[in-house]
Amino acid sequence: MDERTGKILKCAACILTALYFGAAVLAVAGMAVLRSDRLQAPEQPIDFPHTVHVGQLGLACTYCHIHVEDSPEAGVPPLEICMGCHRSVAVDRPEVRKLIRSYEQKKPVEWIKVHDLPDFIYFSHKRHVRAEVDCSACHGDVAKMDRIKRVRPLRMGWCIGCHRALGASTDCATCHL
Amino acid sequence: MDRRKFLQTAGIVSGTVFMGSCGSERDQNKLISYLVPPEDGVTPGKALWYATTCTECTAGCGAMVRVREGRPVKIEGIPEHPVSRGGLCMRGQSSLWRLYHPERIKTPLLRQEGGFLEISWEEALGRIRENLDVARSEGRRSVYLAGRTTGSLSEMIDLFGETAGVERLPEFEYFSHAALRRSYGALFGREEIPHFPIDEADVLLTVGADLLETFLSPVDFAARYSEAVSRENFRWFHAEPHMSLTGANAHRRLILKPGGEAALLAHLLRTSASGGRKPPRAVLDSLPELSPQDAADATGLGEKSLRELTEAWAGAKRPMVIAGGVSVGQRGGEAVSLLAGLLQGMHGWADFSRAENYGNVGNANDLAKLSDRLATGGIGVIFISRTNPVYHAPDDLHLSARLRQPDLAVGFADLPDETTRELDLILPVSHTYESWGDTEPRRGIRTLIRPAVQPLYDTRSEGGILLELAGKGESYRDWLFSRWSGRFGEKALGEFASRGYLVEEAPGEKAQFDPADAIDVLKRIDFAQTAGPGLWITPSIRAFDGRSRPLKLLSEVPDPLTTISYGRWVSVPEADAKRLKIRDGEEVRLSSGDWSVELPARIQPGLLKGRFTVHREHLHRAPFGIDPDTGEFIVRLDGPRVEKTGVKRPLAVLAGSTSRQGRGIIPDPVHREAKKEEVHARLYPEHEHPEYRWAMAVDLRRCIGCGACAAACYVENNVPVTGQKDHLKGREMSWLRIEPYYRDDGAVEFVPMLCQHCHFAPCEPVCPVYAAYHNPQGLNVQVYNRCVGTRYCSNNCPYKVRRFNWWPHKAEEPLRRMHNPDVPVRARGVMEKCTFCIQRIRAAGDAAKDEGRKIRDGEVMPACAQSCPTSAIVFGNLKDLEAKVTRLSKADRAYRIFDVLGTESSVYYLKGQE
Repeated sequence: MDERTGKILKCAACILTALYFGAAVLAVAGMAVLRSDRLQAPEQPIDFPHTVHVGQLGLACTYCHIHVEDSPEAGVPPLEICMGCHRSVAVDRPEVRKLIRSYEQKKPVEWIKVHDLPDFIYFSHKRHVRAEVDCSACHGDVAKMDRIKRVRPLRMGWCIGCHRALGASTDCATCHL
Repeated sequence: MDRRKFLQTAGIVSGTVFMGSCGSERDQNKLISYLVPPEDGVTPGKALWYATTCTECTAGCGAMVRVREGRPVKIEGIPEHPVSRGGLCMRGQSSLWRLYHPERIKTPLLRQEGGFLEISWEEALGRIRENLDVARSEGRRSVYLAGRTTGSLSEMIDLFGETAGVERLPEFEYFSHAALRRSYGALFGREEIPHFPIDEADVLLTVGADLLETFLSPVDFAARYSEAVSRENFRWFHAEPHMSLTGANAHRRLILKPGGEAALLAHLLRTSASGGRKPPRAVLDSLPELSPQDAADATGLGEKSLRELTEAWAGAKRPMVIAGGVSVGQRGGEAVSLLAGLLQGMHGWADFSRAENYGNVGNANDLAKLSDRLATGGIGVIFISRTNPVYHAPDDLHLSARLRQPDLAVGFADLPDETTRELDLILPVSHTYESWGDTEPRRGIRTLIRPAVQPLYDTRSEGGILLELAGKGESYRDWLFSRWSGRFGEKALGEFASRGYLVEEAPGEKAQFDPADAIDVLKRIDFAQTAGPGLWITPSIRAFDGRSRPLKLLSEVPDPLTTISYGRWVSVPEADAKRLKIRDGEEVRLSSGDWSVELPARIQPGLLKGRFTVHREHLHRAPFGIDPDTGEFIVRLDGPRVEKTGVKRPLAVLAGSTSRQGRGIIPDPVHREAKKEEVHARLYPEHEHPEYRWAMAVDLRRCIGCGACAAACYVENNVPVTGQKDHLKGREMSWLRIEPYYRDDGAVEFVPMLCQHCHFAPCEPVCPVYAAYHNPQGLNVQVYNRCVGTRYCSNNCPYKVRRFNWWPHKAEEPLRRMHNPDVPVRARGVMEKCTFCIQRIRAAGDAAKDEGRKIRDGEVMPACAQSCPTSAIVFGNLKDLEAKVTRLSKADRAYRIFDVLGTESSVYYLKGQE
């Protein structure tokens, strides 16, 4: 291998490395932007509008999220609750048809979790609701959301901020296992 | 490689890893809605409890199944239960492993050339009906062989037998207690085993009966033992030739000469004749002569030990004797059980009103009869249910080959075993936690079996199958309920359903003691017939008679005496190990005639020279045959040849040492006053505990080392089951272990060792990322997601209770469904340890907050304390001066391990007896 070829090879390697890292950084950044949006407001199997149910009809959160006051987990409403109204209300809307089809075929709806905490975190809806923390403190104003979106960061620092302000426990073991 | 090339490679590798992690869908969890909420009101995040019965053995302990979102996740004992009194053994704790066993039989299976074919229930039942009809028309009998069956299922089998013309055979159990039943039949006219309330005795003599391992109802015996030892006047003598967990816990272990049991009992009978209670003249006359000197020789105990026993016996107000286990599993076992019965009968309290219900159980001779019948070809259809005769039958019965003789061999089974392999048709039965039923383990004590979950697979309950085969249109549940309401009445039925058990009134009749029938046997006793070296097949607390072998958790939790988890072994006395020049894990060959077995050795302190023991589940078949007099399996082999093979087979021994090595783990004696004077310099400020300071007290006098706590901890806290490979490397994950410490005199002390939640914890200051810290409730908390796995904490822990996750330890389907959703599954590279069941503390705190009060004493019960059959573990708040744990922590016997280090641990131990 003469000196010239060696130089060209070295040069090429350098350019390739720069291109590789550049592409990687761009790809990561692009995915982060795209995914964050998708994650924060993912498309749901049924396009359920909180704007209608909360915003226009003024239903209370607990009308559907029945466990939120007495269980750590809020839970997602059983389809039977939806069917309570939608046996007769708006049965011809395409999204409601999806719901009825699910119910009749006995196929549960697989909603995408928007507000998801890691497994090693203990979070009790019951405790927060009983401490009179408003649902919107974490979930935002769902009455204005066509599609549910994560508006709060749900990170530890954000949790702690509130715990400090309200004088709640900031011991690690309150939430961490 | 030059610098640039290195950077390039590193760049590519790191880039790939980074990009790979970006693509994961780990945040995309699903929320799956119910269509219609279940009838019994499932609340996500809240548990439901169902009272049922544990059927891992046939003792009938009460079990509560904790169900989260439709999945059973934990089994706990029913408090106040007449059989188990709130505790469970490690087998009971592991019973969920059977429910979720990956090898569960999922559909009916029909034998084909080279394997089994999955068929439908209709086809399976059709075949059975067809074959029953053919057998009937051609004059062949059909038979039903089950494991011990009681309660409504027993009635169902009778009903099925009547309608389908099937003969019900005496049931097969390896622990049939046939010798005992025979003896009590001869002495009291009732072939039953009386109820033994050992807590009502002041002197207890057990001869070979392994009360704390497998004998009749081990959890009940453990609970009663716990009550008895807290009294001052209770003395327990245990006579055995080998070394068992029961012997290790008795006040006095009398190490007998093999075959010396009869001499011991006869001597006791003779010496008590000089006291107030006289045995009948005829008995004394028929007993062969036995001078005190002869008795000392024949038992091998020496006159001093013998005198100690006879004096205690003579001075006892309510003495009790129980023979069983290895003492009756030998030639001459009949005499041992008879003499024990005589001795008990003489003292006039043998309680048959709550007799152990073994009415349908036969003995091993019945198995031999069945084998003969199979060979002559007179059997049409044979049903085998909940029993594994092929595993236990001696080779000369040729049972596996002969099971091919009938037209159809049908098995009811949940897991494949040695017997199902030989059958033509296997019907998968639902687990107890999936079916309705009841049992009657003792006369008049009914325990409920109710489903906690829908059957996971296409399985049915045995009763349901029989009901259908009998041609009844109703479901088994309806059949049961109509029986129950007829028997108990509506009001009691409600109680039965909610509590899980019902105690019916005991019949008042008294058994008449008449030793006339025993005379013949007594005359034939030959006290000189003792033996030298021997090999014993001992029952195992982990596998019972071998039936619990498939449950992996029971291999993960070590055997209490040897601390071996996985693998087979033979326990070798220290003297023989020296003679053979062997160490732990070196293989020995034991042989006699044409029988031989090769097993790695484990040196067992406490065994006398020439006495080897093997657990039941580590030998195949019944190598030493059956005693024709009693129908018991013989478990003793005289004079085996023992030689070293030279092969090394490493054993997973979990204990570092069998000795305390003078470390003062159990101080001798406890000096409370001296301890107070110790002042330690403090580098760190005192911790504040405004409301709670959680602590535990472990009473070593009550602790029997059974390991139920360890098994309960595994299930409650999703502790990974790692397997043999990791155990051999010392990478077990147990948060709680039982450490057996052998004293020089052969006595054993068990110490449950778990995180001590030290006030000044050595693990905390060495953590570079503040993952281990002390919280205001006195807990030493490990924040898993903060842990980076330096393992400094583990190195600095003097108790060695922290465990490191070397692997992700993913449980296979469907075992994952057993995970407790309240406890996260730890990731690889993270340190974990006992949390004092923080999830339970949190749940209790939540309930207390709802009612605006503090957590009450006893409201938080960690899994280990709940499961403990002897209630040796007490948990509570040290800041509550009235709490039981506070009282115990100030007791005279209380001490803390390694207190000299200044850790100020939160686990107090109460020293056992001297």
